[in-house]
Amino acid sequence: MEQIIVNGVVLAANYALIALGLTLIFGILSFLNFAHGQMYMIGGFVVYYVYAIFGMNYFLALLACAMTLFVIGVLFETLFFRRVLRIATREENSMLLAVGTALLLENLALFFFGEKQRGVPPVVTGVYQIFGAYLPAGRLLVLALSALLVVGLLLFVQYTRPGRAMRAVAQDKEVTRLMGVNVDRISAMGFGIGAALAGLAGGLLVTISAINSGIGTAISIKAFIMIMIGGAGVVAGAILGGIVLGFAEAFGYAFMPGSMTYLLIFVGMILFLILRPQGIMGKPWG
Amino acid sequence: MAAIRHLTRSLALAAGMAMLAVGPAGAQNTLKIGVLGVMSGPAASWGLVNRYCAEATAQMVNEQGGVEIDGETYTIEIVSIDDKNDPKLAVSGAERLIHQEDIHYIIGPNVDTTAASIVPVVEAGNAISIPYAFSKQLYTPPRSNSILGMIASYQAGPIIYQYLMENRGVESVAFVARNESDPLNQRDEGVAAAEELGLEVISSEDTYEPGTTDFFPVMSKVVSGEPDLIVLSGAAPADAPLLIRTARELGYEGVLSTETAQDITILNEVAGELANGFISVGGASTPEIRSEYMEQFIEVYEQVAGEWNDEAGTKVYALEMILATLQQAGKDAITDIEKFKAAIPEFSMKNPFVKEDSQLTYVGSAYFEQPRQIGVPMVVTEVHDGEFKTLFVGSVE
Amino acid sequence: MRQALPVSEASLPQLGLTLPRMVALALLALVYLVAIPLYFAQSNYILGVITNASILSFISLGVWVTFAIGRINISQGAFALIGGYTAAILGTRYDVSFWLCLPLAGVVAAAIGTVIGAAILRLRGVYFAMITLSLTEAVRLAFLNGGAFTQGASGIVNIPRPDALSVFGVTIIPAFQGANPMPFYYLAAAVLILGLLAVWRLTTSRLGWVFRSMRQNEELAASIGINVARYRVIAYGFSCAFGGMGGAFIAAFHQNIYPASYSVTDSVYFMLYCFLGGLDFVFGPVVGAFLLVISFELLHDLQQYQALIYGVLMISCILWLPNGILSLSRRRAGPAEENEEPAVAPAAEKMERTP
Repeated sequence: MEQIIVNGVVLAANYALIALGLTLIFGILSFLNFAHGQMYMIGGFVVYYVYAIFGMNYFLALLACAMTLFVIGVLFETLFFRRVLRIATREENSMLLAVGTALLLENLALFFFGEKQRGVPPVVTGVYQIFGAYLPAGRLLVLALSALLVVGLLLFVQYTRPGRAMRAVAQDKEVTRLMGVNVDRISAMGFGIGAALAGLAGGLLVTISAINSGIGTAISIKAFIMIMIGGAGVVAGAILGGIVLGFAEAFGYAFMPGSMTYLLIFVGMILFLILRPQGIMGKPWG
Repeated sequence: MAAIRHLTRSLALAAGMAMLAVGPAGAQNTLKIGVLGVMSGPAASWGLVNRYCAEATAQMVNEQGGVEIDGETYTIEIVSIDDKNDPKLAVSGAERLIHQEDIHYIIGPNVDTTAASIVPVVEAGNAISIPYAFSKQLYTPPRSNSILGMIASYQAGPIIYQYLMENRGVESVAFVARNESDPLNQRDEGVAAAEELGLEVISSEDTYEPGTTDFFPVMSKVVSGEPDLIVLSGAAPADAPLLIRTARELGYEGVLSTETAQDITILNEVAGELANGFISVGGASTPEIRSEYMEQFIEVYEQVAGEWNDEAGTKVYALEMILATLQQAGKDAITDIEKFKAAIPEFSMKNPFVKEDSQLTYVGSAYFEQPRQIGVPMVVTEVHDGEFKTLFVGSVE
Repeated sequence: MRQALPVSEASLPQLGLTLPRMVALALLALVYLVAIPLYFAQSNYILGVITNASILSFISLGVWVTFAIGRINISQGAFALIGGYTAAILGTRYDVSFWLCLPLAGVVAAAIGTVIGAAILRLRGVYFAMITLSLTEAVRLAFLNGGAFTQGASGIVNIPRPDALSVFGVTIIPAFQGANPMPFYYLAAAVLILGLLAVWRLTTSRLGWVFRSMRQNEELAASIGINVARYRVIAYGFSCAFGGMGGAFIAAFHQNIYPASYSVTDSVYFMLYCFLGGLDFVFGPVVGAFLLVISFELLHDLQQYQALIYGVLMISCILWLPNGILSLSRRRAGPAEENEEPAVAPAAEKMERTP
């Protein structure tokens, strides 16, 4: 039982990180980044190359990974999404563009990184025992760093100027523009940060779970589940969603076959959304 | 890094294709062989290794001037299609190879679902497929157009379990399988074999979704049963390293084994020394038993693919067998597969990939009522200090 | 009734059957039904590709109908799976004729869709999209865990080919022999053409106008007395029926079905075909599906670059033709029509977004 709880906590922290970037982008730009899973995957590969192949310091690798994805995010927003959001007559366009970018990123990754599954040497070794449950040091590190990043993001969004501007844009774009905020730049920055968070999640998790160029879709689906349950566009919602999914998975796998667990998670989520469509903490939607 | 290698590989491939189109001096005819398999997504290495092996063999043969069948020389051209493990794409891919490219010999597909879906196409199109899927249905009469390219899990399993019972004192076993058709079938066969041998099956219902990156939850459950042996049924090369690492991190000290081929590079990358003692089924690539020809093949493979993959040790036989059988059956067999089938029962050639003198034949009659399996030697290996060491060599018959 | 609804001219799907359009349609029909089968009679592969494109267009037509009421539907793969399994189980276990299985698959899919739709259609925009995406996954998992009923991951194989259809002893359609793709080609073509007629009729009927007004502004439509809840479910049920029938066809065509046969990726592609063709045009899904399926096959010779180019093509299309390929024909109609639409749409969307 203790092992299940420990598993749940670690999973929850991991998943919350994945959901955070997605919810940030959704909050500011009001559309779903379908390519989120692929960005996670690229983050993992960046860390693989910088840390495992070039042999540099792990934290340097994380920095490189965040910066790479930030650039990709900003590029996507300025080159692709800004234009589409402006000239399209239907809101589906941006989502379908996101699907296109997901496809593009996945195939680019397959082309450049190859098809093999990759992993990195552990950053820290050793296994701890907590209340009789096993907790490898590597997972503890991921847990700690994830928590740090979550707190960092919360502080950023609450107290810094750009962070507050992002919250303002998420609340009401027109009024924010009227108040003199450069909405275009904030949107690009928001997308960049969201992408960077996805990449960092990948870069952290590659130390304990390995990556290959095909995992994008599966990760995106998990991210969607989390923000649907927790509520889209709200940071607390993403964290809650991560907690719910993490524990659901830990408990589920312990008592029943894997696919049954996910079937129940989906059914449960659909029923929950019928009763409360905006998720636990989301903005009310008609 | 790999990007540059991949780029050079693509350019080399393009150049090679161009050369093949022109043809080396003297060879007038082209023999086209198809490869159909999963070449993208999480299971990409299965189909890609098929393709690279075929291309490497083709390159080696073409560099010697081509393959000689009935006095005429043929340049080999490989046409490959990615079916993405989707039965619908496997069907259209097979149709394209057979009807568009006029191919009668197809290496692949890789899993039960895709292999089964192309059976009607292959039978109607007068072609032979060499799947790497284990479903017995594919190879048993009335089907006769498919030839199993490697050792099936239900062939290796009992032999491995017996060895472990006799040499490591294993008395109980637990199974964990990937939740997909092939691995589940392999798990069921494994359970049947274990029970027949008298092993206590502690758990066999645990599965994980394809695409799982965190095995802690599922392995916690498996390890808690304290089995002497954990069998990773149908584990893809991508899953095995993590499964092993998670089990060891959870304090598991028993034996870990699988009946599919694995990749030592990623085992080392991801599991490191935690992989020591891991038992799997390999091919001709363990250093102690490989021949010089195999060493040459590995070099060419690395040129074609960018880096070696131990999975290729099992998949290296397909094209060689096709060519050698065609040589024995005569050039009519290139378009008339009945002649090819007729040559199967009597066929025999020296195994070019292993040092010791052994013959390669078509086997499998005990399982499929007819010889529809390439007699690949069953090399059971164990990981030691970052390398596969041969544990023992068996065979299907 | 028609004059009362606040809809601009530019938002109508292209309905007018002018002479040039009828000639074009006739030519197209000729090529589709006569020229291609004759010319490619020996090529199983090409006939297979076009059959594939035809039935995929048909399934996407269903998704188009949900777009018509303003919902992004990423669940069509689930209903193709439901229809496929219905036909597979009836065909292999109860020896039901294919000609009964096909409509039955549509009915079962529509029934299940109606029940689920009644619950989830109150959601909109990305929320609806995400929940339908989850539905695709959930249905796949359900079939995977269906035990002996669905045979789990092993799927159902050896589904019999369509048998002969006879009424009062008279054989209308002969049994589909062996691997001959021609009967399947014509069946897919017939299904597609009938589907197009049905959807076209739908859009020109009163129901079509109701749908249009709901897409423009659901609150406004409700305020003038339209029972939006009922019409939403009708549209979704209709869409699911198309998915189910398409799935049944493919099950008989490939003679197998697995939980892996339709995944989230397939659902996304159905949506994509509609979108690339043009969401305002009934022919949109057909154009989108044919274009993407054929270009995918044509790109085959480029091997590893194929998927990459595919992705780039998609993005380019979305960037420069965000209203679909067929919208190019509309641009020639003149700027006056275009300007009307943006005025109505942003105002409507603004009203939708405010909580």
